[in-house]
Amino acid sequence: MMEDDYLKNKRILLVDDEQELLDMVTTILKDDGYRHIIVAKNFRQAIALAKEHQPQMAVIDVMLPDGNGFELLKQLKNDGDYPVLFLTARGEDEDKLKGFALGADDYMVKPFLPQELLFRVKAILRRSYKSENPLVKLKHSEIDFARAEVIKDDCHIPLTAKEYELLSALYRNAGRIVTIDALCEAAWGDNPFGYENSLMAHIRRIREKIEQNPSQPVSLVTFKGLGYKLIVEER
Amino acid sequence: MKSIPKLIRRFVGILLLSCIALFGLNLVILGLITASQTPSRHPWITAQEMADSLQIGENGYCLPENELIQLQSAGAWAIFIDNVNHQVVWQTDNLPVQIPRQYTLSDIASLTRGYIDGYPTFTGEKETGLMVLGYPKDSFWKNMQPSWDYQAIAELPKNMILIALLNLLVILLIYLIANTKLLHSVKPIVVGIQALPTGEAIHIRETGVFSELAANINRTSEILQSQNYRLHKKETARANWIAGVSHDIRTPLSTVVIYGSQLAADMTLSETNRQKAAAVVKQGERMGKLINDLNLASKLEYNMQPIHKQPKNAIAVVRQVVVETINSDFDKRYFLEWATDEYLTFCSINVDENLLKRAVMNLIQNSINHNEMGCTIYVAVQKNDDDCVILVEDDGIGASDRQIEQMEKAPHYMLCDTNTEEQRHGLGLLIVKQIVAAHEGRLVITHSVYGGFAAKIFLPLYGEK
Repeated sequence: MMEDDYLKNKRILLVDDEQELLDMVTTILKDDGYRHIIVAKNFRQAIALAKEHQPQMAVIDVMLPDGNGFELLKQLKNDGDYPVLFLTARGEDEDKLKGFALGADDYMVKPFLPQELLFRVKAILRRSYKSENPLVKLKHSEIDFARAEVIKDDCHIPLTAKEYELLSALYRNAGRIVTIDALCEAAWGDNPFGYENSLMAHIRRIREKIEQNPSQPVSLVTFKGLGYKLIVEER
Repeated sequence: MKSIPKLIRRFVGILLLSCIALFGLNLVILGLITASQTPSRHPWITAQEMADSLQIGENGYCLPENELIQLQSAGAWAIFIDNVNHQVVWQTDNLPVQIPRQYTLSDIASLTRGYIDGYPTFTGEKETGLMVLGYPKDSFWKNMQPSWDYQAIAELPKNMILIALLNLLVILLIYLIANTKLLHSVKPIVVGIQALPTGEAIHIRETGVFSELAANINRTSEILQSQNYRLHKKETARANWIAGVSHDIRTPLSTVVIYGSQLAADMTLSETNRQKAAAVVKQGERMGKLINDLNLASKLEYNMQPIHKQPKNAIAVVRQVVVETINSDFDKRYFLEWATDEYLTFCSINVDENLLKRAVMNLIQNSINHNEMGCTIYVAVQKNDDDCVILVEDDGIGASDRQIEQMEKAPHYMLCDTNTEEQRHGLGLLIVKQIVAAHEGRLVITHSVYGGFAAKIFLPLYGEK
């Protein structure tokens, strides 16, 4: 629960011109435990509230009565470098690409399921504020990202740079399959073709460090031909 | 513009054939005229015959009567010059008075080659002297210095051929120069006509021999441009209307879905009411997907969807779709299996990644939609000589041959311009077809080896053969 508490204490700025939607999203976030929600109905109010409250994340609509969300993102990012999630009715690929190009962390198109919004908000917060949360508990070990080591049976086992990159990518998507290609890209950069065998070798070494029995992994599971999933224990 | 060189070749061919035919015809005509105008007997032969016929008798030389008549009919006179003293020893009665009776050797040499006092003369030899026939003035022209270098005669055939070829070359050059201007005038007309079907705006200079034709092509282009503009305007308005409506629907739909989700999770409500709320959420999500599909389909149809193609590894793209589907709340009734050969790790294609993902997602969703009882969906990437093949198959209820034919051929209601009552497939498959078409690929719908439905996307390989 330590991680949850830590993340749910973050200040989140919601910007949308639809009062009903603002109320609903506020309720969804509050029901899930988020304590500091700041709401703004337009561009001007969002800028003023951001200056006053220094939010740690923003969820913004693209279409605002006195401006657009893309401009708002630029201004918010100038004032403070915190993650931004677009929540909008504009579902065209062009808009998504523009949002991501401007530095958005995620882009959700309406209509959306409350669970999906919660998952994405949490994933963004975890990704953005992970350094302050060093210990990740697995079935038979813990990962200390701050020290780049695994703690198993009171032993501190150091992680190599590649193992650290791979585990970080897996942890950012904990509970979800990460493709072979995404892992290769995380470890070897933009042109990851041909590293599949190296990836398998690194995964085997990671398992030796985090698993009780590397031949029968329970925390780092293989999905044949697709990728791997890191299963994190709830605290 | 392949037709212009072809046209030139044809013109030149016709010209060469014409030249050869003309040359042959000239030879024949010349032969005929010469044959018709040449005297029946050549004067040299006549002279020799006269010499042979001249007889010596008691009263001196005499010529038979018939030979004399022949000479008279030709208007010719004759003399016989004695070998010993070069004097005329016999003559015809009609000998002009100015003709000498005594000749020196140089006179004989001269008359043999040419004339005596303007009368063309021809000689015939006899042992005792020389027979000379004199024809009327201006009846024959004689070449006074008939001699040719033997080398020149030996090379005459070669020189004749060279001259003929030179003549042909000169004719060809004159012809080409004369025609170049014509072809230059034709070229813009041909380019304009070829460009008309592409829909580009055309303007040809309305000058020269084809100015009227150029003007007509320009008018045609203007009419086509105007029609295209009006059509594009109408299509843009329709696509914008669909985009606007879908945008306006999304926010109220969010309220429906969110409240529905909260009610579905509200344990104070009865099971029946929670199920109803869950159904509202499900239908709300379905409407959300439908407006997304409608929007994308209309943009693809009216070429308003930007397509950003980049070289991509098809395996990575399709694998990402499969993983995203499994990572989402994937219904437990369905299994998604990655069926790509493990040794195939790279298959390069030039695609808009987001659109290809959308196409594969739609095919997976298609299998889900048509198999409510659940099924296993097999996704694979294969590579053949020219194509990358993306297969989405299932072991579900499949489709009959007639249904497959309808899916292949029956137009969707969005594109149909008739009032046909034929049942048509959903938007999902239409979008797949549009995306595949935008990538110069093809979609094949068939029966699966797993027993159900199979869709195969063929996309051209990029940068590898």
